[in-house]
Amino acid sequence: MASPLDASCREVLEAIRYGRIQSATKAALSVLEAALLCLRRVSSVGEAKAVLRDFFSEALEARPANALLMNVIRGAILAVRDRLAEGDLNGVREAFERYYRDTIKLVKEVNETIARMAVNRIESGDCVMTYSYSTIVLKALKLAKDEGKEVEVYVPESRPGLEGLRTAKELSDYGVRVTLFVDSAIRYLMKEVDKVTIGAEAIAANGAVVSKVGTSLIALAASEGRVNVFVLAPTMKFSPETIYGELVELLEKKPESLVSEDKLKEVGLRLGEGFGVKVPMFDVTPPEYIDAIITEKGLIAPQAVTFMLREIYGWPFRFTPVRELLGEACESP
Amino acid sequence: MRRVRVPEEVLRIADDIRCMRIRGASRIAQAAARGLKLAAQLYPGGDREGYVKYLQGVREVLRSTRPTAVSLPNALSYVMSRVMKAYDSGADLRELINVTVKSADEFIEYSRTATKRIGEIGAGRVVDGDTILTHCNSSAALSIIIRAHEEGKEIEVFATETRPRYQGYITVKTLRDRGVPVTLIPDSAVRLVMKRVDRVFVGADAVAANGAVVNKIGTSLIALAAKEARVNFFVAAETYKFSPTTVVGELIEIEERSPLEVVPEEFLRSCRNVRVRNPAFDVTPPEYIDAIITERGVIPPQAAILVLKEEYGWALKDYMLKATAEIEEAL
Repeated sequence: MASPLDASCREVLEAIRYGRIQSATKAALSVLEAALLCLRRVSSVGEAKAVLRDFFSEALEARPANALLMNVIRGAILAVRDRLAEGDLNGVREAFERYYRDTIKLVKEVNETIARMAVNRIESGDCVMTYSYSTIVLKALKLAKDEGKEVEVYVPESRPGLEGLRTAKELSDYGVRVTLFVDSAIRYLMKEVDKVTIGAEAIAANGAVVSKVGTSLIALAASEGRVNVFVLAPTMKFSPETIYGELVELLEKKPESLVSEDKLKEVGLRLGEGFGVKVPMFDVTPPEYIDAIITEKGLIAPQAVTFMLREIYGWPFRFTPVRELLGEACESP
Repeated sequence: MRRVRVPEEVLRIADDIRCMRIRGASRIAQAAARGLKLAAQLYPGGDREGYVKYLQGVREVLRSTRPTAVSLPNALSYVMSRVMKAYDSGADLRELINVTVKSADEFIEYSRTATKRIGEIGAGRVVDGDTILTHCNSSAALSIIIRAHEEGKEIEVFATETRPRYQGYITVKTLRDRGVPVTLIPDSAVRLVMKRVDRVFVGADAVAANGAVVNKIGTSLIALAAKEARVNFFVAAETYKFSPTTVVGELIEIEERSPLEVVPEEFLRSCRNVRVRNPAFDVTPPEYIDAIITERGVIPPQAAILVLKEEYGWALKDYMLKATAEIEEAL
């Protein structure tokens, strides 16, 4: 059967794969939204299964490290699984829509809670370094401003992708003072920084944090400079898959996303002619460089991630890996 | 005091340095030495006391052309320290002129061969099969990498982009043209790739008395990541990049450059609360450096003072006296 994925789905896949949507939260929610729109268009349960199977599989391939994406896909499939089995297309649509709305509401509430807790850790007069573009971190920094805390934000430009510029612009528009610099200046400027707050793509069972490439450099420089590092992440970003030893796969971008042809031409180079370009999207920060992970359930040591996973998935852990679940629920009849 | 008449030919050299018709640390240093040599050959007087005063005047003219390049005062000190030593031991005018010419030639010659020699010495530290990381575009570091490649060692290189000015692209081009396998990475990926790196080679803009190295911004971050991963970190630096003034506690100033190197003007205009910091250099502490590879040999960074004493003995004494005089005056 031909894949019924339409242009809007393809667009979302492109955007999350190549980092136009870098934020893990935004990536996960836009996948859910696109799937919902697709479900409204399909005319049979068979088609609905095909859409969910193909689109979700590709989304997982596009952002294999995004634990939130994995978890919301798992949630969505669990929400519609019975309706799919019964062949009730309207029921599938209703259940999916309900799950989508609940998730958006939940993510919003959870992020709000985390931002509030994070603000408790920020004092007036602090210089806070962040990196890339994190929805929750921005929320926290804006909240600090709302509460009248005088905070200065340091943000590296965050190549490749330059999300640091978007973070700087958004905070600047909100009236927050921002200092922008090249990624190489992280250690040089760390001496002026009081705290580091970063977002996450995923958090592994051992407390290691997967985030935009360069995050581990900041954490390392912070640890050297005795600056506290806080990761702001809902428990939905914890990756239960890693409990069973699954490695988090780190994607790379296309060389074109890093280098411009013009810049290369200036020195007499052309892509693909005798040299390599490596453009990683993420790196892994080891737990020992992280002072705390701030979740909606409270502030924890990174080493306590397994404890939180037990709260969610029980002991022994009970959950179906997302790809398995997808295969079962969306099998062709 | 009678003003020293500086010959036309020497003034022309000074002007070329000032207007940047002569630029680059090594070329400036060589031109300065050439200036002293010319001045020696053109000395119109007949007494040795007058000669020393005259040469000091010439030195001052040449030194004041570019205030920041440490290679310039160092080249001058290289020659002057030898002249003053000869003067103190009672040399006559002929001998003093000879020492000046000989020292200047010696400096120019060693400057020319220093980079090559660093390549030869440094290549000994490269092991067959190594993956090397380098930052920015250092001719001394590249000399090592290219030499190792020419010796038939199978090596692979990671070159950082080096924001904001992308000198890494020039490094990629140079290495590719020599047939060295090279991969460009963003500066932010340094820690990620460090696991696969065996050795880091970088250059230096200045080496301080305690062995701290001033180099392109990002160098200290790379050194930190290398230390964490137990990867050897080497600095390639000609001895004339060692800074004698740091012996008396002077700081090396870190230049901050235009924000427009980092972001376009439209961006700055659209963000009223954004300030851009653009430091050109950073300081790598000696404890992160395994060795400094100079043309005189490989030294631990903590032995920088040895190089300074050996190469700039006279200059150090001069700086010490000046510092003491300033303190006494203040009291």
